[in-house]
Amino acid sequence: MMAKASTIVEVNNLTYQYTDRPVLQNLNLSIEEGSFLGLVGPNGSGKSTLIKCILGLIKPQAGKLSLFGSELHRFDDWSKVGYVSQRANRFNAGFPATVFEVVSMGLFGQLGLFRFMKRNDRNKVMQALKTVEMDAYAKQPIGKLSGGQQQRVLIARALVSEPTLLILDEPTVGIDATSARRFYDLLRKLNQDQGLTLLLVSHDVGTMTKYVTNVACLNKSIHFHGTAHEFETNPNLSSLYGYDVQHIIHEHEEIAK
Amino acid sequence: MIDVFFQYDFLRNALIAGVLIGLIAPMLGVFLVVKRMSLVADALSHITLTGIALHLLLANFFAIFSLYDPIYMGMVFAVIGSLFINQLRTVYGHFKELAIPIILSAGVGLAVIFISLADGFNTDLYSYLFGSVAAVGSNDLMTIIIIAVIVLVLLFVFYKEWFFLSFDEEQAAISGLKGKWLELLFSILVALVIAASIRIVGILLVSALMTLPVASAMQWAKSFKQMFVYAAIFGQISVLSGIFLGFHLDLAPGGVIVVFAVIILLLSLLKNKIVKASLNRNVQNR
Repeated sequence: MMAKASTIVEVNNLTYQYTDRPVLQNLNLSIEEGSFLGLVGPNGSGKSTLIKCILGLIKPQAGKLSLFGSELHRFDDWSKVGYVSQRANRFNAGFPATVFEVVSMGLFGQLGLFRFMKRNDRNKVMQALKTVEMDAYAKQPIGKLSGGQQQRVLIARALVSEPTLLILDEPTVGIDATSARRFYDLLRKLNQDQGLTLLLVSHDVGTMTKYVTNVACLNKSIHFHGTAHEFETNPNLSSLYGYDVQHIIHEHEEIAK
Repeated sequence: MIDVFFQYDFLRNALIAGVLIGLIAPMLGVFLVVKRMSLVADALSHITLTGIALHLLLANFFAIFSLYDPIYMGMVFAVIGSLFINQLRTVYGHFKELAIPIILSAGVGLAVIFISLADGFNTDLYSYLFGSVAAVGSNDLMTIIIIAVIVLVLLFVFYKEWFFLSFDEEQAAISGLKGKWLELLFSILVALVIAASIRIVGILLVSALMTLPVASAMQWAKSFKQMFVYAAIFGQISVLSGIFLGFHLDLAPGGVIVVFAVIILLLSLLKNKIVKASLNRNVQNR
């Protein structure tokens, strides 16, 4: 008998507002272990706000949020959650650190104060770099890599603490189409081979829906949550959430090539 | 030429103090520079002057103050200043650097008032501004040793946390690092190092010792760890040259230290230019 997949993220009646206007209202969402959920929505629909709430970076005014079955304010095992943020180049490109050093940071939270990297930890870093096929670059300065390569390194940093849930906020922004596709292939592999649960926010609805297992549509609250196939075959949703538009743009790109 | 430094206590003090300062100032400076906060050192050194000036003023009225070294008051002001800078940086959010001119000018303004109330400049004040080989007493040395030990231990203990915070504050927060008090601790350390360095380098030039060796190190280091090694080496060369030449040629050591740091920086930039040029040539030859 198959064990019932457990719920990793549970959001109930969440409301978040900046000063006067609510960005998220009575939002409900649950993410099952092992799923690859794509979160889509127009600009200003609250995608990044929802991610920030889940990560505990901002506090919602109302509603309940649980990670791995415990309420967010009690949750403290952040090594189970990996996060790759919107701007790949949010850090100073000239920062004098190697790829290896950057990925090591992913272990710092787990190690805690007064503890140092041991051989085992260094192996974990190299393993994470191998997973994203960047192990050959371990000694390179992070600033010398291309945007796509940097984003893979940041994935490795998120993976090194062996998280159960990986959250990605617009990870392919500013990355060329080929690198982006390679990036999605990597995410699919992580989901299928390692059973990693993924929450992916992306504008690139057309490409993304080819990779994810589930789609959730957000505009202040969740308007649809189902399989990628249901989303693609529902004409209302795909037009509302820009599927067709993105799709057409991509077809054009293909023709142009 | 060198043995004279072991004959006289005051010179030996200056030498030991110099070695320690040449180590801790550039090493803390690495974090300051990568956080793009190098000017904080300037602001804090000027607020240290305020403390020193206040002490000199109070010493005119209360005999008890002449028993103590003005540098302690300077340290207190530097620490308070660093707390203010930390606070102002959060108030101004997107304009974090505004904290620096605010604190710097407030510090100089107050210092000037205190100095004029205390009958203007004297030689003592001159040595605080530009550093002095003769100024390091055994009490000063003790203070510098204690501060150096604290800084080195904390650098070792919190290396990975400060590294993470300077690279990516948001990610560090998500991994559960307590950014606020780590930042606070760091600011206090910077304030203490500046106050400790002032005896040798002087108020006007202390920030150079925290930033110039780091700027040179950037041209050499192949990893973040190496930044500390190079910064410390370049810091040592500058400080030791400054103390030796400062003494033998009767120059303010602060000036010589900074000139050497600048020379090292120029040589480092030149080296990188040559390396790049030869790489290009190799590519073209292929």
